[in-house]
Amino acid sequence: MTAVDLSRVNAEPAPERLAFAIHEIARQAPDRIAVVAAAGSPQRQAIEYGALASAVAAVERALSAAPPQGVIVRARRVDALVAVAAACGRQGVPVALLADDARDLVGELRDWTVVDDTLQVPGSRGGRTRVADTDPPHVVVATSGTSGPPKLVQRTWDSVLAAARLAEQWQGLGWLMAYDATRWAGIQVWAQSVLTGGRLVVPASRDPDVVARALAEDQVAILPSTPTLLRRLIASADPTLLSQARPERITLGGEAADGPLLEQAKQVFPGAKITHVYATTELGEVFRVSDGRPGFPATWLGRQLPGGIRLSTRRDGELLVQLSRDTAEVATGDVVERRGDRCEFTGRRSDVIVVGGAKVFPKRVEEVLRGVAGVTEARAYGQPSAITGELVAAEIVLADPLPAGASPESVRAATLAACRESLEPHGVPRILDIVKRITTTSAGKTSRRPLVGTQ
Amino acid sequence: MSQTVSDAVAAAIRTVLHDTGREATRVEPAMLLSTDLGLDSLDLAQTIVLLERSLGVDPFRSASGARPAIRAVSDLIAIYSEALNQS
Repeated sequence: MTAVDLSRVNAEPAPERLAFAIHEIARQAPDRIAVVAAAGSPQRQAIEYGALASAVAAVERALSAAPPQGVIVRARRVDALVAVAAACGRQGVPVALLADDARDLVGELRDWTVVDDTLQVPGSRGGRTRVADTDPPHVVVATSGTSGPPKLVQRTWDSVLAAARLAEQWQGLGWLMAYDATRWAGIQVWAQSVLTGGRLVVPASRDPDVVARALAEDQVAILPSTPTLLRRLIASADPTLLSQARPERITLGGEAADGPLLEQAKQVFPGAKITHVYATTELGEVFRVSDGRPGFPATWLGRQLPGGIRLSTRRDGELLVQLSRDTAEVATGDVVERRGDRCEFTGRRSDVIVVGGAKVFPKRVEEVLRGVAGVTEARAYGQPSAITGELVAAEIVLADPLPAGASPESVRAATLAACRESLEPHGVPRILDIVKRITTTSAGKTSRRPLVGTQ
Repeated sequence: MSQTVSDAVAAAIRTVLHDTGREATRVEPAMLLSTDLGLDSLDLAQTIVLLERSLGVDPFRSASGARPAIRAVSDLIAIYSEALNQS
């Protein structure tokens, strides 16, 4: 691969940085692959930095000819989304990156111009007085809606690109894009890849075999994932394909990573450094842990950590974060509990299932379910009940093939028996369904919502 | 109709007992839920979710005002028969 000098990228103002990096890489190594679309499928298509730079330039020309109030990106293709975002940044046009479930919110941006995969910028409405710009160009994203309905939030380009690591060792790597490119986690991945001349590998779907093939064929080095998606990949992908994948780093985020998953990941990807990142929508990244164990060292509580962060807990175990001495403590909504020398995550406060007044953390139930031989994936959720308020309900995915001598009925019975043994009576799932695949949110997390309708 | 409802109620109760590691040899309309079958409020809540799945109604969710007493298997059969007639 041609070496590319990216030393000037960080000197550019944040809004212009992406477009600058794309043009700089295209100038030095136009054939370098920027994005692999539909990776892991026969439709796989590689887009080079030269082509990406042309797309950025075309959008920039259209934007500067008739500057719109703002641009709503409605691209399905990640390369189109990246091109529009980069062009908007450099042209000082605010840009909204919205996932499908946030489309209802565009009413708030009604004077903005929509740009889709065609990259055509329709004639601007209203126009934008560039001189009177008081607010810097920014990015509008929607919160994921895991805790409450999605809402639009405005971010500066500085905050969007703050976490990107530009050092030499991060340059020219293959990045798996398992996240939705319009979500905060996804934006972090593509921005990081583009700023470092990386190859963004976008699998054709979240099907485990497709993802495994993408990892192997496009030599993914960095695998950012939620624990739910990684668990599915490890449990269900073709082992031959998996053995050909050689990620150097696995970065887990979005949900708590449990001990068994960290163990399994280490076995399946022995060469990978596995890190889990704790971040929230409000605070961004708070800390990362790379020692291969779940949670974080209990000694971190109540002490100033490098970077000035201070962690503490409320009486009920909710994690409180103070980013620096002069900022207020923020209640995270995540509950931790002390297990030996660690603080482990028990779940989100809002996920708690209340059964006849007793609290149940679905994550704890899922850990027990997944510990049963023959169960590969599980989710627990609250089923509304007129009698007890809620009941614990759960879905499990069976291993394929099942362990010798096991049947779906025997695994289901063993699962309930294990729950009776390890959980309080009100924590034992009262509804237990065997499903092909557990319900996940568009952010790739395990859904905590009841099924819509009955089966 | 009431044959189907009583079958569904009996099947739901048997599933609840089975899932919780107990076995019921028979479930009769005259049996008392707590005394004869040993069902507690969690068991009843589970029975209602299972019946919503098999019969498609949950008379307790929409019920306004006082809930009718549910003491015997026959009370459940009557409540679900009525709910199905109304739906």
